[in-house]
Amino acid sequence: MSMVYINIFLAFIMSLMGLLMYRSHLMSSLLCLEGMMLSLFIMMTVAILNNHLTLASMAPIILLVFAACEAALGLSLLVMVSNTYGTDYVQNLNLLQC
Amino acid sequence: FTPLMLTAMFILLLPIIMSNTQLYKNSLYPHYVKTTISYAFIISMIPTMMFISSGQEAVISNWHWLSIQTLKLSLSFKMDYFSTIFIPVALFVTWSIMEFSMWYMHSDPYINRFFKYLLMFLITMMILVTANNLFQLFIGWEGVGIMSFLLIGWWYGRADANTAALQAILYNRIGDVGFIMAMAWFLTNSNAWDFQQIFITQHENLNIPLLGLLLAATGKSAQFGLHPWLPSAMEGPTPVSALLHSSTMVVAGVFLLIRFYPLMEQNKTMQTLTLCLGAITTLFTAICALTQNDIKKVVAFSTSSQLGLMIVTIGINQPYLAFLHICTHAFFKAMLFMCSGSIIHSLNDEQDIRKMGGLYKPMPFTTTSLIIGSLALTGMPFLTGFYSKDLIIETANTSYTNAWALLITLIATSLTAAYSTRIMFFVLLGQPRFNTLNLINENNTHLINSIKRLLIGSIFAGYLISYNIPPTTIPQMTMPYYLKLTALAVTIAGFILALELNLAAKNLKFMYPSNLFKFSNLLGYFPIVMHRLPSKMSLTMSQKSASMLLDMIWLENVLPKSISLFQMKMSTTVSNQKGLVKLYFLSFMITLALSLILLNSHE
Repeated sequence: MSMVYINIFLAFIMSLMGLLMYRSHLMSSLLCLEGMMLSLFIMMTVAILNNHLTLASMAPIILLVFAACEAALGLSLLVMVSNTYGTDYVQNLNLLQC
Repeated sequence: FTPLMLTAMFILLLPIIMSNTQLYKNSLYPHYVKTTISYAFIISMIPTMMFISSGQEAVISNWHWLSIQTLKLSLSFKMDYFSTIFIPVALFVTWSIMEFSMWYMHSDPYINRFFKYLLMFLITMMILVTANNLFQLFIGWEGVGIMSFLLIGWWYGRADANTAALQAILYNRIGDVGFIMAMAWFLTNSNAWDFQQIFITQHENLNIPLLGLLLAATGKSAQFGLHPWLPSAMEGPTPVSALLHSSTMVVAGVFLLIRFYPLMEQNKTMQTLTLCLGAITTLFTAICALTQNDIKKVVAFSTSSQLGLMIVTIGINQPYLAFLHICTHAFFKAMLFMCSGSIIHSLNDEQDIRKMGGLYKPMPFTTTSLIIGSLALTGMPFLTGFYSKDLIIETANTSYTNAWALLITLIATSLTAAYSTRIMFFVLLGQPRFNTLNLINENNTHLINSIKRLLIGSIFAGYLISYNIPPTTIPQMTMPYYLKLTALAVTIAGFILALELNLAAKNLKFMYPSNLFKFSNLLGYFPIVMHRLPSKMSLTMSQKSASMLLDMIWLENVLPKSISLFQMKMSTTVSNQKGLVKLYFLSFMITLALSLILLNSHE
């Protein structure tokens, strides 16, 4: 496949690494989630525009909408954690209690 | 000619209110007020004499105030039998009370205001008595209510006095509802508020307005059901108790019922109701008076009891006798209050009879007047009370009426003698139980003169009034001898019984009160129950229904809070993870990388 796709795919892999391997802040994994979503969006848009798949033109926009919803959900979870602990260190999430 | 003299009397009363803005705020003001009242009394005797000699009644309609569609309201005074005789009596009693309060309230810094209030009360009472239409009567009615509030709460720093004043206003208000209902009925059904028009037109069913008037009388005259304000009103100074709550204000309710006697004559239901109400009141308050320990409360309860007797008299269709009892009762009740005021002041503000005793040597004049007042109250033959009270008992005995109410009234009469004996025993006889450092002095001319005047009134007024009034309903002339002697017999029985009990129990150990004693001492538990329970119940009911049910449950709890609670509970029960997020992510990534590497290496 062409270079563009591999590039964007590599960016996606980078964000995935960032999502799965982080030190202490929950916020960094959320940011990497956003990065993943961004690279997916770019890849989808470039593929559709290059191959003239006109009927699927609304798919990236819908992807954006759902990504926004899930980002909001992630942020609210972050806020809840931050309310109880003051920071968003991931080592605080060791208690089996709500 | 009569109207001219009466307007002269009113003119005398009015400048007092005007002159408080001038320079009359000096120490001579009480004296001025007192002399004005005495002049007013003397002037008002003239129309009374004319009325007695000629039997001519008068109505003065001065000033057309307003007309509301078909209702014409004007300032009209009615000088008929009742008001013409009541005004001199009230003025005489007020004159004596003013003189008494010049001694009693001598050290009060606001004595001028006190006299102003007393005078305003007198004016509103006059308005009430001489009113010819219901509107003017309502003005006087509310006026005496307001002045009663101001005067009961005279020492406003005392929480009990404020509570008592508020209590008086509330209970009077409940009676006012009945009054307004009667006014509304008269307005819609007979188009007028004038007495003449109401009495002439013929109505079919008069139950509703008469019920309203009975409710008004219950509120104002402290009948059973709306009675606790009268003993609590003893928080005011003694002249207030003497004027308002013995002679004038509390008879306003009885006066209202007397005014409407042409309507009550025809309605048997109302008569039975008033009879039973009066009988219950008399007996209940006489029972409560037996075990009270405060002089003024005992006299207050005796006032209630006598008021119940007046209502009973109206119930047996004798309004003129009730009116006669009002006039005679004013004399000796005011005198009883003044004697108790003299005793209280001399003992350095001690009001508890358990701490008084042996006062017949240091205060002979007060002792005499107390004894004569009590005897007049119980209806000793040929003192004042005899002419009205004995006639009432006789008429009740010989009339075709409710036997139970009659029996209750007789028992209450004997109890009257009992508690009067108790008062005299505890206050006057025996050894002194008060603090020995009091200077007991009754030398002041104001005190002596005022009590002396009422004393002579208590002795002779009954005779004078009964033989000089125009003839009214004829009293029953022939009856069996045992019926005629009933009142005397029960009174003497009460006297002897109380005296024996007091003497026998004088030196015994004080034992724990029985249930009957507690019932009597705590006013039959009526104020305790009724002041707290209905208000608390209605408040909690409204809180539960309005606030809790609607607001908190339906709006707040049903959807939002229940959803969040449900979710939290479910998530804790379902999830069985530990923390360790980073490890999970790491394992995810390692698995992914491994699988990619392994699956890719087959190329």
